[in-house]
Amino acid sequence: MNPLIFTTILMTVLLGTMIVMMSSHWLMIWIGFEMNLLAIIPILMKKYNPRTMEASTKYFLTQATASMLLMMAIIINLMHSGQWTITKVFNPTASIIMTSALAMKLGLTPFHFWVPEVTQGISLTSGLILLTWQKLAPMSILYQISPSINLNILLTMAVLSILVGGWGGLNQTQLRKIMAYSSIAHMGWMTAVLVYNPTLTMLNMLIYIMMTLTMFMLFIHSSSTTTLSLSHTWNKTPLITTLILITLLSMGGLPPLSGFMPKWMIIQELTKNSSIILPTLMAIMALLNLYFYMRLTYSTSLTMFPSTNNMKMKWQFETKRITLLPPLIVMSSLLLPLTPMLSILD
Amino acid sequence: MMTYIVFILSVIFVVSFVGFSSKPSPIYGGLVLIVSGGVGCGIIMNFGGSFLGLMVFLIYLGGMLVVFGYTTAMATEQYPEVWVSNTTVMGVFLLGLLMEVMLVLYVLKSEEVGVVFKFSGMGDWAIYDTGDSGVFSEEIMGVAALYSYGAWVVIVTGWSLFVGVLVILEVTRGD
Repeated sequence: MNPLIFTTILMTVLLGTMIVMMSSHWLMIWIGFEMNLLAIIPILMKKYNPRTMEASTKYFLTQATASMLLMMAIIINLMHSGQWTITKVFNPTASIIMTSALAMKLGLTPFHFWVPEVTQGISLTSGLILLTWQKLAPMSILYQISPSINLNILLTMAVLSILVGGWGGLNQTQLRKIMAYSSIAHMGWMTAVLVYNPTLTMLNMLIYIMMTLTMFMLFIHSSSTTTLSLSHTWNKTPLITTLILITLLSMGGLPPLSGFMPKWMIIQELTKNSSIILPTLMAIMALLNLYFYMRLTYSTSLTMFPSTNNMKMKWQFETKRITLLPPLIVMSSLLLPLTPMLSILD
Repeated sequence: MMTYIVFILSVIFVVSFVGFSSKPSPIYGGLVLIVSGGVGCGIIMNFGGSFLGLMVFLIYLGGMLVVFGYTTAMATEQYPEVWVSNTTVMGVFLLGLLMEVMLVLYVLKSEEVGVVFKFSGMGDWAIYDTGDSGVFSEEIMGVAALYSYGAWVVIVTGWSLFVGVLVILEVTRGD
């Protein structure tokens, strides 16, 4: 793509999300979502093959439906409250419709079907933007309407997302689909605590974005999109292999890595609000997630995965230089001792 | 009939939307879009917005739909689909019509309809007065406010349209 046009379109994606996060008028928020959607389509379609076109079409259709539902919820809210300001949505019908629309944008169950298919059809960098930056805008709106969200619907969607994200990722060998199911599960964790303590949602979002960014950068560095291809990195850059191990275990939520911090805080917050069964179920279902991360680490870092002899030397084009990879890796694995700093957030 | 003109226009509006969302060929979709645009203009005019209604005719029908019609005429196939040519299209169209007819009968018969909004039978559809707006018309004031207080909206929508064109060119360019 022409670099000038690519920069313009990328800046428009940023501008769309910024407009969503900073507007006080519901209509401007909707315009921001549409600008975001429109501008990310050519980024998803960077390579012109039928797979990317199909993935972009699926993304466009689901997100446009979600925007239409959002507009309907905005208008119902306007009808019943007479104003366009962003506050909690007082009318329960509008609140339910808006929650469903934002769940469709995030990829929560039962609207999760597009996430693996779209992520698989696009390149690794586009998938990175899709799974990290695109989650910021809907989550910011959920944060702003969080006092009025129907608890039953949101918690059902959250728990089902954790289940689907864990279960669905079990049979995958393609790395992009694994990251997609991991995204579904993490979104479930984030929305589970939204009604109780939205600050923890933001904390989880921050740590999730860091870890997903790190994972995608490691995949881009080793140019691998399948488990088999990832298992050959020990030959080329053994250090990257070790870092894949650490980051994957951090994503699985194991202490003493930083991925444990959001899960710990969320479970603590849920138990403070006298729900015991729910965090227990959530923690048990996070084990499914951990299983397929550990299978990746097993095949990549801990064993020499079986392959034919002519595949043992991994060939690729020149090594990509990824800026900020070391700080990202450090941040996504060593942040746990900083947990007491969270007290400044109140 | 004039007291219930908004209701009649709204019904025709919904029927034409059913007409193109049952997916005949785009040429016929454009045909019912013209009808729905004209009817929408009538609805807006009944609420006192004559400027905006004529904007619909000028810009929407006379600008965008004309360009759409020309491009679909260039890309059309030899036997375009009508509503009665394909069983699926006809089925969806009839289903939509049926749902609309049932809704209209429900509104006409019962005192109060409470689907998402409550409105009391036919009374709410008739326009008695458009609110106390004083000596000036609200919609012209709204358009004026768009270009004064709403400059940010103009910038954002202008940029969205510009980026829309860039995106479309980029997507259809191919390799």
